[in-house]
Amino acid sequence: MYRRLLAVFIPASLLSISGAAFAAQAENPAPEPSHNHRGGEKRIILENGEDAAITLWKPDLSTEPLTLEHGAVTLPKTGMDNYHAILAEKDWGDHKEAVIRYEYRHGPPSKQSPARLAAQQKTEFEIVPDPIPREHYRYHARQEWGFLLRFQGQPVGGLQVVLQTSNGSRLSATTDASGRVKFRIPDDFPGLVKGERDRRVGDFSISSEYLQGNRRFTTQLSTDYRVSPVHWQSTRLGLLVVGIGFIAGGIIGRVNKAGEGK
Amino acid sequence: MSGVINLSVLRKLVQIGAFVFFVYGGLVTGYYLEDKISRSLPALSCAYDHQGADLCTLIPIQHQMDHRLGETIASGGNLMMGIMPTLITLGTFLILFVLLNKAFCGWICPLGTFQEILQIIGQKLGLRRHESLSEGMVKRIRPVKWFILLLLVFAFPLLTGMGMLNHDLGDPFCRICPSRILTTLATGDSSQIYLDTANATTIVTSLLADFLFGLMIALALTVRQPFCRICPMLAMHAVFRKIGLLRLVKNATPRCDRCALCAKACPMDIREIHTDMESRNVTFEDCTLCGRCVEFCPDQDVLQLKYTRFPVFSSSPQYFKKRKKQQTQWEKGNLIAWFRKRSAAPETGSS
Repeated sequence: MYRRLLAVFIPASLLSISGAAFAAQAENPAPEPSHNHRGGEKRIILENGEDAAITLWKPDLSTEPLTLEHGAVTLPKTGMDNYHAILAEKDWGDHKEAVIRYEYRHGPPSKQSPARLAAQQKTEFEIVPDPIPREHYRYHARQEWGFLLRFQGQPVGGLQVVLQTSNGSRLSATTDASGRVKFRIPDDFPGLVKGERDRRVGDFSISSEYLQGNRRFTTQLSTDYRVSPVHWQSTRLGLLVVGIGFIAGGIIGRVNKAGEGK
Repeated sequence: MSGVINLSVLRKLVQIGAFVFFVYGGLVTGYYLEDKISRSLPALSCAYDHQGADLCTLIPIQHQMDHRLGETIASGGNLMMGIMPTLITLGTFLILFVLLNKAFCGWICPLGTFQEILQIIGQKLGLRRHESLSEGMVKRIRPVKWFILLLLVFAFPLLTGMGMLNHDLGDPFCRICPSRILTTLATGDSSQIYLDTANATTIVTSLLADFLFGLMIALALTVRQPFCRICPMLAMHAVFRKIGLLRLVKNATPRCDRCALCAKACPMDIREIHTDMESRNVTFEDCTLCGRCVEFCPDQDVLQLKYTRFPVFSSSPQYFKKRKKQQTQWEKGNLIAWFRKRSAAPETGSS
């Protein structure tokens, strides 16, 4: 019997809620849902990670082995910005498990597109964000995002994929012929107050399974998501203000024209 | 240039190409082109646009003021380390800026293009247009762009980084920038039109953003380039305009005192092009190097767009005559004129 290696990486602040097996913690956690601007070290808590091979993939596709210490790995300063991938793998012969998490790290410009990191095969069976959220974008509830499932670098269609959130939601979908699947992230944070900004961060994981002969591959992509700003931002009122601005512009235009005529 | 092709038409084609590339180019080039070429395009190309191919320099500058320089000052850190990212951003900005100078405004900027398209729509709808704003109004408006640059791009983010203002003022210009709304809307994303009730700052900034966007649309139908006149990017360009390789050059003659066609043609109402008889380099602070003044100058080589020492485009009587005719033709066709013609047609037929 093996102990299941992986569940999700989650912010440490949510550990008590989810009791999940993986947790990521910035040494200087920012209160805002923004990238960690410090580029300092970061700890990733990894439960059941004994004997797992843990690898840090950098934006330039170089790798560095990470060591588990007291149930956690520390992401070192890598001297480059942009997305890094933390991959944990366990192989029991007939079953290989992999969990991956993409973390944005600050530092001197890497001069690398994260598309390269996403395109690179990092383990046999993996789930890749398609696309990785770019600057100014994060996963938020209610948004639809795409993911790509690849086995040995090739997209796999017709696979069942499951999304689970730390707030208890569960969705499932099937990959299309090009190995892609889309999920609308559930708006499932409890206790939201209309009109008030909520900066809570939850975690969701996307997982799937693939069989090749007698060998089973399970894979999981873990990431965080945030409360939808829809709860404190009103598009309807915004449009109303745009309309008021438009009318004001029309009036100013007419007044100026009348003034010119005099 | 022959047929219907003139400098303005050529510029419109470049503008539309640039608009498509900067607003949708990420679909072709990949999302992170900006990481490779530049994070500091000298034009308003918004990072909030999920399909964009580059982003405007004002975004990293605000972030660097907030997260680098401001925090470094507050923590008593190494000032040089704090300011270095901004210097790198400005360096990248300058590399691009030297190549095209303020033509980034007149030829590349998506928001400038959008306003010009609105102006065409206004003209074609037959809305009564302001050929130019009064001199007094132009003079009153000119300092606004400097205030926006200094306060919203530099001061507020810096004070936020120093912990003196709340985090929502870390990127105040982006929060009110019409390009953020425009470029995201252009990709079918309406998420940037909102009234944000999180706190007083977000209420004020989101109100301002939405109001300014509506105001700009209405004004652009009748006034040339309304937002460009207060755009902090124009101010930033103005600081460095002397080092750009492309410039507007004037070889003044006594006739310059009289016709003023260049000033009338200028979408930014720069009367100094006409009145200044001393300067050779007349790339004034509000100039966008669109070249309209050169097109509408009736005298040989009096106005020129020059790339370093080489004339790229020069005024000439022949071009002027042709251009004026084209302009008259272009302005004749509008919806109101069409309706008038249509309603007058039966009367003509019966008489």
